[in-house]
Amino acid sequence: MNVKRALILTPLILIALLLQSYFWVPSYEKQSVGNPARLRTYIEGSIADAKILNPILNADGASSRITDFVFDGLLDMDENLNLRGRLATDWSITEKAYLLARPEITLPDGSPATGERLLEVLSQAQVNGNLPELDGILLSLRLLPAGEKNETLTLVEPDEQGNPSPTSVEVTIRTPPRVEFTLSRVDQDFFTRLTPLLGAAYFQDFPYADHITVADAALREKVQPQVPALLPVAEHNPVILFHLRQDARFHDGHPFDAGDVKFTYEAIMNPRNISPRTSDYEPIKRVDILDPHTVQVTYKRLYSPAINAWMMGILPEHLLNEAAMGKEMAERGLSDAARASFGMRDSQFNRQPLGTGPFRFVEWQGDEFIHLIRNEDYWERAPEYEHYYFRVIPELLTQEVEFKSGAIDAYGVQPHQVARYKQEEAYQSFSSLGFGYSYIGYNNRNPLFADKRVRRALGMAINVDEIITYLLYGEGEQITGPYPRQTEWYNPTIPPIPYDPEGAQRLLEEVGWQRNSEGWLEKDGQVFEFNLITNNGNLIRANIMTIAQDAWKNIGVKCNTQVFEWAVFLKDFVNTGSFDAVVLGWSMGIDPDLYQIFHSSQAGPQQLNFVGYTSPEADALIVRIRQEYDLDQQRALAHRLHQVIADDQPYTFLYVGLATRVLDKKIVLVERAADGRERYEKIYPTKSGSIAFYFNKWRKLEFTPDF
Amino acid sequence: MWVFLLRAILQRLVLLVVISMIAFSIVHLAPGEPSEVDPANPRMKPEDIARIRAAFHLDEPLSVQYVYWLRDLATGELKSFKDSQPVLPKIWRRFLNSLPLFICATLIVWSLSFPTGIQAAIQRGSPFDRTTTFVAYAFISIPGFFLSYLAIQWVVDLFNVPIIGMRTFGMENAQPAFRWMDRLWHLVVPSVMSAIAGIAILSRYVRSQMLEVVRQDYVRTARAKGLPEESVIYRHALRNALLPFVTMFGFLLPGLIGGSVIFEQIFAWPGLGRLGYEAILARDFPVILTINFIAATLTLAGTLVSDILYAVVDPRIRLQ
Repeated sequence: MNVKRALILTPLILIALLLQSYFWVPSYEKQSVGNPARLRTYIEGSIADAKILNPILNADGASSRITDFVFDGLLDMDENLNLRGRLATDWSITEKAYLLARPEITLPDGSPATGERLLEVLSQAQVNGNLPELDGILLSLRLLPAGEKNETLTLVEPDEQGNPSPTSVEVTIRTPPRVEFTLSRVDQDFFTRLTPLLGAAYFQDFPYADHITVADAALREKVQPQVPALLPVAEHNPVILFHLRQDARFHDGHPFDAGDVKFTYEAIMNPRNISPRTSDYEPIKRVDILDPHTVQVTYKRLYSPAINAWMMGILPEHLLNEAAMGKEMAERGLSDAARASFGMRDSQFNRQPLGTGPFRFVEWQGDEFIHLIRNEDYWERAPEYEHYYFRVIPELLTQEVEFKSGAIDAYGVQPHQVARYKQEEAYQSFSSLGFGYSYIGYNNRNPLFADKRVRRALGMAINVDEIITYLLYGEGEQITGPYPRQTEWYNPTIPPIPYDPEGAQRLLEEVGWQRNSEGWLEKDGQVFEFNLITNNGNLIRANIMTIAQDAWKNIGVKCNTQVFEWAVFLKDFVNTGSFDAVVLGWSMGIDPDLYQIFHSSQAGPQQLNFVGYTSPEADALIVRIRQEYDLDQQRALAHRLHQVIADDQPYTFLYVGLATRVLDKKIVLVERAADGRERYEKIYPTKSGSIAFYFNKWRKLEFTPDF
Repeated sequence: MWVFLLRAILQRLVLLVVISMIAFSIVHLAPGEPSEVDPANPRMKPEDIARIRAAFHLDEPLSVQYVYWLRDLATGELKSFKDSQPVLPKIWRRFLNSLPLFICATLIVWSLSFPTGIQAAIQRGSPFDRTTTFVAYAFISIPGFFLSYLAIQWVVDLFNVPIIGMRTFGMENAQPAFRWMDRLWHLVVPSVMSAIAGIAILSRYVRSQMLEVVRQDYVRTARAKGLPEESVIYRHALRNALLPFVTMFGFLLPGLIGGSVIFEQIFAWPGLGRLGYEAILARDFPVILTINFIAATLTLAGTLVSDILYAVVDPRIRLQ
């Protein structure tokens, strides 16, 4: 019977056809035997795909992982987290400072403060050595004539729906004569040092109305807060001079030069490109090309972390300038509407990036992989690995399975898996401190948490060790303050808040809270009760909530917990400041600037100091730190700031997670002697805990070496 | 017939517009904004966000945004928020990736369900029937993702071969035969896993259809005529039992889009379902809406195809 036969044979043939394919697939053991190229290939697993492979446009970890390989910055961080030259061979930081003449007031010697008189007084002081602190700092000074310029300000006001909508305002600024100082280093106290010559009142009550005209009179009031920044009486302009590498070339052979640096800066600031990094570069006043391998960057004001922005990859001007974009638009045959809004974001370059970095881009299959190949022409030694694959595996368990079957070499190991790998012979593992920390933030505006003793007591009730042991499987360390632990800014002398429920009880009693008949703390008939919230999707945070709830219950504090979807959590609670306490984490940078998170001016809606922390001392320190260019000074200030914040406890600082990486033991560091012989070394982390720092020297061996 | 066709198509066009409007409002009403506009990035200033919102037309009223979306979709210039790439080619590439998985899974479902279902019906109450019933209900009740994890764990532990993704990495220089077989192997586990629930359901369906048909008078007549049992079952009974399944072909079409989100996620398969899922997480409105639009089109086309097929195979039904 044909039908019957067909019905039975079809599935059998189909299944046989499918299953025989198994015999053609390389298994774990056979992989490197039949396929030697596998040893020179590094495959990394990632949960998320990259979004946009352009260093000035991307804002996600996966994309920057790739662009870090394809592009070089002018600078990067060395083993000890100090700045190191890459495309820049070296750099120097000096300063130009400006002082406005104020003929309407008199100097301490009785003469009016005209431009000429100022120059005379200051030159005399320099020559006579009246101000010994200025020796070696002040190199020269000259007088600049008065001038006039127009500027466009942006006013951001919420529209009817509450979304920010910007309006432009034209202003005219008439600048009086100014004295220009050339300084050998940046000195935030420079003008304070001039006070004996200028008088204490010199910097106060500047008559802005005489110098600034707002075109639209109706908006004058609203512009007012921005006015002092337009015409500062005393202005600091730090200047960075970069000397660029002469032997660096882009992957297409085009030489790298100063034009590319200036172009990258301009591309970021071009509003059409919608770069998420504009605010990092906003402090820049001007970028000047002094010669093809020297760039001078002048800043508008003191902001020492600004130099870190130059770690970003430099774009090839010849592939992205107006002419190149025009060509691309013509090739793609875009409509006029599309042309009008065409920016770098729309360019195909973001799918096939090209830079000066150690790896060249080959192919990107969306949500599958990104393939890079080593740059043989790299100005530093070319990497040992020939191929780099970035594989997208959106599932944690799947990643583990692929790792075990040898289809990936590395992935983001979860804390609970680390313990398993540590027992297995075939793997080496490295734990290093991350740059992020978790905390419980209290709404400091809430009268319940107004007293810092209350916040301290709440912290004392929580056993952080327990959180680290049971939630993180030991993959974390307790922290005491707002800086990443491995940076120099972290103050190691501050003792952590002790786990001491009785002590917490006593502290709360001091503030006036007494246990009532039901066992809850009560003051003036009010029970100590609040809501602790966090976002969903993060199991550890949800568990921290439970631990905290239980710990506080033991000291008589009633805490209700709730989990919200991320968007709702931000929009309805965090951004509006309408919450009692949150469990959250920060991912920190390497700079010591805490302005956005802890400065009292940043406590408005949508801003990051959403707990509303205010401390005059912390404010002053935060501002001083971001204006200080001397590393030792900066460190001392940061340590003090850490102390102040740790005393105030706006957050209960919990822990910093350990990032663990697990690798096949066959992956080693390859050192090459002068005669070309190879020497293998065990992979080791830098002082800051990064193992990938030496990635370009990594390679997989055929055998497992003994170290 | 032609009148029916014309009317059916017109009705569906109207319905399509309504669906796209509803989908558009639902997507925009959901809390959260595209991740590019998300103020979670501490360095973004309000004016930067306002600029991005304007570039995406997010500051316009919903109705205007809808018109923009329709216009861009029609001209093919619709761009993803996430990476500013044209949406249609993006969806097409992912569709081509999903297609083999879909075809393979469908082949497995349809080729396995019929023999099992028929056999179970013929030997009703036998150990075979009871076993398949038990297995079918087990597969229906165990979640597919759970079975998939078990299968992955088992295959990797036992055979030490990679099974995730569309192919093994580092095979670029192997002979073409090995490369193709490698891709086929990567198809096996995900397609079997996504077929399992289908087999369980469809074979039950085949069984009940057969049971119903076997009781009919004409089957008894055929037996009474003295026809061999095989001829009775496979020629007279099976053909009539097949009728409802013909219409199911039409409903296969929309399965192309939504059928495999979970399996594509687990097996890291760069297909259409995952594109949609990730677009939803990133609130990438143009991609979500376009996929939704295509899914709606396919569903409506599917219902039309089944109506027509039904009329073609079943002479008792006339379209008017």
